[in-house]
Formats: sequence, C-alpha cells, structure tokens
Amino acid sequence: MGFWKDIRAVIQRELLILVNRPLYLLGTVVPMVFCMVFCLTFFRDGLPHDLPIAVVDNDNTSLSRNFIRQLDATQLGESVRFDSFTEARHAMQSGKVTSIIVLPKGMSEKVQAQRQPQIEYYLNGLYFVGGALAYKDILMMINLANGAYQREILRMKGYSDEAIMGLIQPIVVDTHQIGNAYTNYGYYLTNLLLPGFLELIIIIVTIYSLGMELKYGTSKQLLKVAGGSIVKALMGKIFVATIVFTLMGLILMVTLYQWMHFPISGSIWNMFLDVFLLVMASEAIGITIIGFLPVPRLALSVGALYSVLAFSLTGFTMPLEAMSPWIQGLGTAFPLRHYYLFFIQEVVFGAGFAGWWKEVVYLLLFLLVPLVILPRLKNAYIYQNYPKE
Amino acid sequence: MKHSIVFNWLKDAWEISINELKRIFSDGGVILIFFVAGMVYPLLYNIVYINGILEKTPIAVVDMADCSASRRYIREVDATREVKVAVRCTSMQEAEKLMQERKVKGILYFPSDFGDELAALRQATVGVYCDMSSFLYYKNALMAVNHVMLAEHHQIQVERYAATGLTDQEADQIVQGIPYEENNPYNPAFSYSIFLVSAILLIIVQQTLFYGMSLLVGTMREKNHKHVSLPEHLQGRGVGRVIFGRGTAYWTVYMGIAIYVAFIVPALFGLPQRGDFWNILMLLTIFVLDTVFFSMVWSSLITRRESVFMLFLFMSPICLFLTGASWPTFAIPGFWKVFSYLFPSTVGVQAYLNMSVAGGDLSTAYSQLNVMVIQSIVYLVLAFVAYYVENWISLHKERLRTRRDKLDAKLGIDRQKMRSIIEG
Repeated sequence: MGFWKDIRAVIQRELLILVNRPLYLLGTVVPMVFCMVFCLTFFRDGLPHDLPIAVVDNDNTSLSRNFIRQLDATQLGESVRFDSFTEARHAMQSGKVTSIIVLPKGMSEKVQAQRQPQIEYYLNGLYFVGGALAYKDILMMINLANGAYQREILRMKGYSDEAIMGLIQPIVVDTHQIGNAYTNYGYYLTNLLLPGFLELIIIIVTIYSLGMELKYGTSKQLLKVAGGSIVKALMGKIFVATIVFTLMGLILMVTLYQWMHFPISGSIWNMFLDVFLLVMASEAIGITIIGFLPVPRLALSVGALYSVLAFSLTGFTMPLEAMSPWIQGLGTAFPLRHYYLFFIQEVVFGAGFAGWWKEVVYLLLFLLVPLVILPRLKNAYIYQNYPKE
Repeated sequence: MKHSIVFNWLKDAWEISINELKRIFSDGGVILIFFVAGMVYPLLYNIVYINGILEKTPIAVVDMADCSASRRYIREVDATREVKVAVRCTSMQEAEKLMQERKVKGILYFPSDFGDELAALRQATVGVYCDMSSFLYYKNALMAVNHVMLAEHHQIQVERYAATGLTDQEADQIVQGIPYEENNPYNPAFSYSIFLVSAILLIIVQQTLFYGMSLLVGTMREKNHKHVSLPEHLQGRGVGRVIFGRGTAYWTVYMGIAIYVAFIVPALFGLPQRGDFWNILMLLTIFVLDTVFFSMVWSSLITRRESVFMLFLFMSPICLFLTGASWPTFAIPGFWKVFSYLFPSTVGVQAYLNMSVAGGDLSTAYSQLNVMVIQSIVYLVLAFVAYYVENWISLHKERLRTRRDKLDAKLGIDRQKMRSIIEG
C-alpha cells in the first residue's frame, strides 16, 4: 500500500508548488488560450479574399474596362489601378499588391482584328499564399476573357449556345477536396498548429517543473517524499500536469470539431485518444530531455529547439517527402508527426482503427524512451552534481 | 582633474557596456542562445527546406473511358513536373483505398462517357480527388490537371475549328484570342524555401536576442535583489546611462549575428540576394536597434532565469504569421494587424523581403523603416519606464512584503509550512 501513499504525498506536494508558483499557470493555460484565440480569429476568413491586384490599363477601352470590372467581381481579387508599370512594380516590390496585370495598348483593336494582343502578368511569390491565390485568379480571368471572346465570334458565325460551350470548353475539371471541401486554409492550419502549440507547452513545462527541483536543490526532498523511488516521484509529479494537459487537449478537440464545426469524417472520440497520446508522448519527451541533460537551462534550450522544429518536421505544410531522406527519418522522432498521421486517417479519411493503429504504437513507444534516462535522472536528483544554472 | 558631466556620463555608459559584454560572454546559457542557436538555426531551416519544391506527387488514375483522348490526357499529366501517375486502378474503390493508405495523394477519374462526349463535340468531364492533408498536394494535383486541360483545349479546339472549315492559323487566332505571358520574378517556381526561409531569418535574430537577454535579466534578478540591473555605485540613478550602455553592448554583438544571418546564410544556400548591400545594412542597423529596445522592455517581465521559455516560446511561430509572408496582410483581421506592430519582426521581415529578396530600393521599405523607427522610440521610452518601476519596487520591497504577509494572514496561507513540504 506504500506505493499509492507515496504517490499521493508527491501529488500533494506538487499541488502546493502549483499554488506557490503562478508561473505554472501562466506558462500552461494562458499560452494555450492565447494560441486558440489567435488561430480561431486570425484565419477566420478561411480563404483570403479581395487580394489587391495591380492593373496597368494601357488600352483604356470598353473591353479593358470590362475586364477590370470582371476581375473585381471575382471573390479572390480586387483591382488597383496604376498609370504606369513602374509604379505598379514598385507597389508589388513593396508588398502592397500581390501581382500586376498589364493590358497592352491597342488590345481592343487587335482583338477585333484577330491579331492576338498579349496580356502580361507578374506575380510576387514572396508573399506566398497571396501570390499563389492571385495567380489562380488571374489565370481564371484570362481564360474567361478568352472564352468570352470566342463566344462572341462563334455567335456571329451562327453557332448554338450548346455547341459553343463544347467548342470553348471541351473538357471540364470537376474537383473534389477530400477532408476540406471548402478549401479552407484556416481549418487546414489550425488543425495542426494548435496541437503543435500544445506539444510545445507540454515539453517546456515538463522540463521546467522537473528542472526546478534540481535548480532549487529540492530534488532530495522530492525523492524523500516519494519513498526514495524515482518512478514514484515522476508519476506523482506528472499526475497533476497530465490531468491539466489532457483536459486542455480534450477542450481543444471539442472546440475544433464540435464548437467550431471543423469537418471531421471519423469520430471525435478517436481524436480524444489521439490528443491524449500526444500529451503522454510529449511528457515523455520532456522527461527524456531533462534526464539526459540535467541542467535546466540547457534542457530548456534543447526543448525549445525541438518543439519549434516540430512544426516543420511534421510535414503538414511542406510534405516530408520533399525533404532529404535523413530529415524524413528525423520526422518520426516527433510525437506531432504521428498525431498528424493519425489525424489524416481519422479526420480526413475516417478510416478508423485500421488506418491509425500503427501511429498509436509509435506514440506509445515514446513512453518507453524515458526509461533509458531514469537512472541518470535519479543520480542527478540525489547528488545534484550538475551546474544549476 | 574635474571632468564634465558629459564625460562622466559617457564613462559610466562605457563601463556599463563593457560590464554587460563580460556578462554575455561569461554566461554559457546566453552564449548557447546567441551564438549556437542564432547561428545554427538559420542553417537548420535551410537544410530542412533545401529542395523547397514538391515535385512528382504520386496520383492514381481510374480510366473508365479508355479512349485515345483519355490516354493522351494521362500521358500529359504524367509528364508534368507536379505530378506522376503512380498507379492505374480499375475502380474508384481501389483508388480511394490507395489514397487512404497514403500511397497516392490524388485521383484522376475519367468517366466512361469521356470519349463519347468529346466525339459528339459536347463537354466532357474529368474528376480530380485531392488529399487535403497538405495544401501542396492539392495545389500540385490541381495545377497539373488544369494545365493539361488548357493544353488539351487548345489541341481539341484547333481540331474542331478545322473541322468547320477554318485554316489552322485562323483557328489558332480564335482559340488564343488573347495569349498571355507569365512572370514570377522573385520566386519563379513558387519555391517554399525562398519565401519561408527568407521570412524566418530575421525572426530568428529577434527571438534569440530576446531569449538571451531575458536569460541574463532573469539571472541578475535571482542573484541581486537590489537595483537589479543598475550598477550599485549609481545608487538607483542614471537610468539613461544604463539603457545606453547595455543597449550598445547588445547592439554590437547582434549586428554581427544579423550580418551573418542576412548576408552569409543566404549566400551559403543560394537564396536570392538582389538588394543593395548598404540598404540592407541600414535596415539591419535599425532592425537590431529596434529589437534591442523591444527585448529590454519585454525582458523586464522576466523574474527568473528560465521562465522566458515558459512564457514566450509559443510566440515564435505566431511572429511568422504576423509578418504576412504566409497568410496575406490583407486578410489579417484588424485587431491582429494592430497587435503585429508590437514586434519588430513584422516590419523587419517585410522590409527584408522587399529589399533583399525582391531587390527593391529603400523606397520599397519606406513605411516599414518608419514603423521601426517609431517602435524604437516607443520601446526606448518604455524601457525608461520599466527601469523606474523596477527601481521603485526594489526601494519599496519591505513595504510590499508586509502587505503580502498581511494578505496571507487574512487568507490563512502559511508560506513557511508550504516551503518545508516542498523543500524539506
């Protein structure tokens, strides 16, 4: 019975620490709430709209003005008029417009004479999403203009409207977006950014709370309370944190998939499992880092490096397969990566257990990693023979 | 010999500056953050995103039409840079299973009437199914299929017009009524690394400076409870000298790091450097100054050595989104736009992209440079305020403590007992 008694004693001590150090609350709940508010409001448009597109209208006829009106009518773009290309280029270089369209002089005249006037457009690929979306919009506009022009000519030649559509647009592409039918950037980014922030907070707080025992020399007392067992000490110490982190994770899932109605093809209950495993695996990483480097500031620096890098190596923005093979291998060392693969199976495809069981195994494997450093951490806790700063 | 006030002021500031430099270089944690993180992080991001372009995304093809038109379409899609046809399936179920198993990232589907519709001069439909777990899969599949569609249109249209008795040239004139020319001068292939790494560089400068300085401030707070960052002999006066002296120390060190990050790193990895050297140097001068004052103000909230990571680490990714390099500035809600002006990185990154990567002159970063100057002045004033507040607190420590004890007694909190349980 001594086992549970010791653990309870550690938990009681841990609760006192929490009450005494408001920093734990400030470092756990406040950042998570901030990040949730940030992601859910920052990307609220889902897809940017009315992106400024510079138009240099050298033609200035009803045809070119009509083109600009139609551009304004699209959801993505909005025209900004410039008198000269130099001014427009300056605005694009300054990031004030996403792109430039140059309507050539005599465009209308040449169109009527079937002399193929050439439209030029320029994109700023440095402001990435804006540039890519403006690109999409401009391409669509030019093709529409082409279509309208062809329709005009074919009507004059006496074709029926159905025949015209077959001539202008012989092939139609019908796009289906699996897992994000509205092509909503907000859903896409928030789905992974927020679990990423959760992982970051857990790793840092775990390292901090275990490291402070070393820094303030209280680790001997901790072991004493835990009856001299590092396992009991860790279990007790992590117990309270695990409850708080898990609660945060569950609230996150409910917020995303119930309250904000993010599309999910599978079940939210399975996502509860995913986020719980993410919490546990992140704690295991935190313990491993401080056990391996029992110097709080070093461990925190490494933890910071690791958890910020996780955003890149999870591969939800730039897919991992575009990176070098050894970096792809490195990706598997991040719990967030496995959370993501689980997420794809459950949220995107609704594949259920058969789809994600492997990721569960991976995430559980993370729990074994701290075992390697337990003796080292115990020695550090007993002898306190590492620099404290 | 009696010296003038100005001389004494400068002498004090000089001593404080040297003293701060000694502190920086004798603290392993700060060295780790300034010189190891500050120098290795930019390299690391370059290595991670070294290819920068996702090519040959595998897709499955379900060709129920199996006609010459669909076969040609498939060949052309396979030949694009974005996509490769990895598997040919006989049914949608089979293809969907492959996509769920993540062996393919998209499906191209030709309904059985595809060829017949084309032959009857009607519209034929081709279906694309995209895995949305990364937007780059979606972008690749869509771009490949649409580009081929446009090329096919051209081909088919010319054939159809020819059938109506037009010559090839006449047909081409109708089909390509308004041809177009595409230019993407700063990032020709929409490379992920050019935009992302270029944006991250100055964020690394800001964040490492802030973390390192906070680490030192936290350390001093732990060691020395009186006149925390003011030298003893000034007895709580001389705030101006301290800010000037400390600022100079950090500015000098960080100009070195910023030059490395903004000039040498891009050169090492072949990122575009189209800007004028002196313009970029001027940008860095103001940016580092701004960041030093920014860090001075915010680090004054740090009371313990390590707590900066707990309190502010999550801001690093957020700073990236605030720059507008990824999510366009035009789509950022008003509140967050205002919030973004708290950080030098917001305007610093924009100015760096405009001048260094896009090759603009000073005028393309005019408003950003102005904002940085205003930020610097505001943060300088706030730094003074922070020092005065800190001074006041350290001078009135006793009174604050008795007030806290009274509150504890009222609430029935026994700190002594708590301490004994925690510390033994």
